Amino acid sequence: MKEKGLYIFLASLAVAIAAIIVADFSSGTAEKGQGNPYALNIEEYKSVDPALIHYREVRNIRLQCEHPKAIAYANGRLYLGADSFLQTITPDGREILKVSLPASPQCLYPSVDGNIYVAFRSHIEVLGPTGKPSARWEHMGEQSVITSIAVKDGILFAADAGQRRIARFSVADGQLMGYFEGKRGKGAFQGFVVPSPTFDVAVNSDGELWAVNPGNHSFEQYTNDGALRTYWENLSQTIEGFTGCCNPAHLAFLPDGSFVTSEKRLVRIKVHRPSGELASVVAPPEKFEDNGKAPDIAVSPEGIIYALDLDRKMVRVFEKIGAS
Amino acid sequence: MEKNRSYNRRDFLESGMRLSLALAVGAVGGLAIGKATASEWVWQIDPFACTQCGRCADECVLSPSAVKCVHAFDLCGYCDLCGGYLIPGANGLNTGAENQLCPTSAIHRKYIEDPYFEYVIEEDLCIGCSKCVKGCASFGNGSLHLQIKHDLCKNCNECSIARLCPSDAIKRVPASTPYLVKGGFIEP
Repeated sequence: MKEKGLYIFLASLAVAIAAIIVADFSSGTAEKGQGNPYALNIEEYKSVDPALIHYREVRNIRLQCEHPKAIAYANGRLYLGADSFLQTITPDGREILKVSLPASPQCLYPSVDGNIYVAFRSHIEVLGPTGKPSARWEHMGEQSVITSIAVKDGILFAADAGQRRIARFSVADGQLMGYFEGKRGKGAFQGFVVPSPTFDVAVNSDGELWAVNPGNHSFEQYTNDGALRTYWENLSQTIEGFTGCCNPAHLAFLPDGSFVTSEKRLVRIKVHRPSGELASVVAPPEKFEDNGKAPDIAVSPEGIIYALDLDRKMVRVFEKIGAS
Repeated sequence: MEKNRSYNRRDFLESGMRLSLALAVGAVGGLAIGKATASEWVWQIDPFACTQCGRCADECVLSPSAVKCVHAFDLCGYCDLCGGYLIPGANGLNTGAENQLCPTSAIHRKYIEDPYFEYVIEEDLCIGCSKCVKGCASFGNGSLHLQIKHDLCKNCNECSIARLCPSDAIKRVPASTPYLVKGGFIEP
């Protein structure tokens, strides 16, 4: 009788211990912990008021490459630079031309006459309409990292993030004409502030040369000689401005002169009016990878925005809602 | 017939024992040599796998943690608006306590030249919470990152942080290359 009581007690104890273990395991107490008391919440900067989003993604073009780098739109087609090749495709994704390049292209500029200017890390090459190389321009130095090129009035402007200056080349013969460093007046110490290789130049439909000064979060307009004409800047953590060390990373223009901007890390694409105010959001951060790379952007004469998503390796096409 | 008689049961046992002894001595010697020549291993964080979950600050057996923030200066933009130093929406780009992201003020901001600032970690104050690492990764170049400091780490047999790390970012690395420091040119 005494032994029976002991057995019942031990059995009850075993059941109780098993119940505690099961309850503890199923509650996940060990994994729950106290949460992260040091959490930095940036979710509020990722969310965008849906009323601000005036564009919708209408299609994607998946690319067969490892490292997409650059996109441009001209002559009714898209020009893509990736890995070590140049490709031209129709806006709906059909391949027109694909040529090998000697190295990975950094950026490109297709001109209306069919020539394609391709910038590598520290030099520029000119390709004919069929992709045949026709010229190789002067090497800009070991420190150079060309991140953007644009052509205006027979001058090719090459943004050099490595040396924080814009080089000017003659399109006719490829001769280096000089540099400018974006300094606002004589004696100014501070010119282009480029903390990372994101430094863009573009020409709008009025023929104005604009450069992004990414460390200052500003847009600066220059004459052909490199004299500053005007600028606007907007440093802000909110969607209205630009944040981070160096944004925007890429710049393009809508036909009405509005700025289309692409930002890195907190990746987003926006449209700012020619006067600088935020007009609309094209793609909010939730459409891109966290801490992703800034998509290169191109705009068609119809105002269709093509974003080269470097993380997902695809061209993403955005049209204004109600435009079609 | 004569030959078979000379290799009897006793001989078999003797030779078996000799062989066993030789094998045992060889195994012990091999283990000793292996132990003497094997490289040591230490725990370290892979900064490219780290998701800044904050567990390194609390789960280390040491207090404060042996995990500290380190700075890859060659990646840093020396920005005035530093996402690792300033809270998002800071009311000024300055050293005001209300603007600092670090809960222990372990980051020093030093003026270099307009508009560049250098950010230096004071290791004694750093608790390895990774708040600055997330800020730098979210808004900057990602030059701030966590590492296990081996002058502090007890090199536990089972690292208590590694056991809970949600991204398996903590792993054994050879003691000859104990740090996985970020550096070099990064993609935009």
